[in-house]
Amino acid sequence: MYRQGDVLIMAVEESAVPAPFLKASGELRDGRGRLVLALGEVTGHAHAVQGPGRLIREAGPFGPMLLHLPEGGRVVHEEHATIALPQGWFRVVRQREYAPGAIRIVAD
Amino acid sequence: MQHVNSWRDVAAATGAADRAAAEEGVRSAYRLAGLAEPERIVWAESPRAAVEAVEKLTDAGRSVREEVRTRPWAEERRRMYDELGPAGWSALWSATGAQLWETTAALAERIRAGVVADLAPRPTEEGAVRLVLLDAVLGQHDAAWLAAFDGRGDRLTGLAEVARNAGWWWPYERAVVISERPEVLHRDEAGRLDHGEGPALAYRDGFALYAWRGMPVPAAFLAELASLTPQRIREEENAELRRVMLEYYGYDRYLTESGAEPVHRDETGILWRIALDGDEDVVMVEMVNSTPEPDGTHRTYWLRVPPGTRTAKDGVAWTFGLEGAAYAPVRQT
Repeated sequence: MYRQGDVLIMAVEESAVPAPFLKASGELRDGRGRLVLALGEVTGHAHAVQGPGRLIREAGPFGPMLLHLPEGGRVVHEEHATIALPQGWFRVVRQREYAPGAIRIVAD
Repeated sequence: MQHVNSWRDVAAATGAADRAAAEEGVRSAYRLAGLAEPERIVWAESPRAAVEAVEKLTDAGRSVREEVRTRPWAEERRRMYDELGPAGWSALWSATGAQLWETTAALAERIRAGVVADLAPRPTEEGAVRLVLLDAVLGQHDAAWLAAFDGRGDRLTGLAEVARNAGWWWPYERAVVISERPEVLHRDEAGRLDHGEGPALAYRDGFALYAWRGMPVPAAFLAELASLTPQRIREEENAELRRVMLEYYGYDRYLTESGAEPVHRDETGILWRIALDGDEDVVMVEMVNSTPEPDGTHRTYWLRVPPGTRTAKDGVAWTFGLEGAAYAPVRQT
């Protein structure tokens, strides 16, 4: 389990990954060739992975998402230190906040 | 993905329209729909002013929104769906339109609600305003759909040209009413309308929306924020407004000045509880950013968690949808 700011990245066993996701083609990369896990709308700062891999969005714009890194990879962000990830599958979760009657996502 | 980012900019664009380019887009959209070009193009300073201009139109003919926008979109979507298959279309949408959908749809809905509130002081008048709004093509706020179609055919180039250069527009047989873009747009990192010192969205003619982290607030409420006291916050009866007050005032400052005591402390942070009369307690976790700021300090931040939270770790874990026992990062930055 790894945390970069408002994003939590949890390793999951490949056997626990639902079959449709194993072969899903995944998200397109951004203009800089990165897989964007979360993007700040205003600053454009992003939690992003460089290098080989796939990001599969399960539902909704804020995830959760599955990340597959066949060779491991690095999660970068403009304001947080880089995190090195081993090879494997990960679940990516955005941080949220409680509000009476609603739950709001957090963006840093 | 580069398309998404350029359309993200379109959705958030402010400042004067490029009227010549937008008008050429309008004429192009009519031609592509097989219609004669409109005889008149009327500019308005805001969507509110545009609705008023539409109500004053004479001899404009019927709405051609269906022919100009809806039908070409539906046909392009069908064509791409057939070409890409269900999985391909779904992947394309998730990589393009879905990224912009929530923020632009929410913004458009807020603008609609704002126009209705301004132009229909009595509930009986709302229907007429809403009917006019139904005829609108959303221009820059159609960015999500246009991002999905971008680069995949020429059929929607007129619509895209208007979207890149202007705000909402109303196509009728012989006339078009088109709105300028906002002058001011303030959003938070999640893309929600958000501004504490004035309107979050404002057009040149004064049509404006006020919001704090996406929540609509009255203009007068914002003016009061600068002079808040803990006492005033406690006395506020509207729970949502009180939440905004707390956020604006600063949880840390409020905690200090209201003499709150920490409830629990562990390696993940500190849990605080503030009792409020007639409302559920405010329970917050205080966390410290692991990566230092450029000046070497660590930024502290507070997130509200459910009132039943017992420990700081349970609270931090909840913010990521986990049980306390399951939360154990091996590395955090």
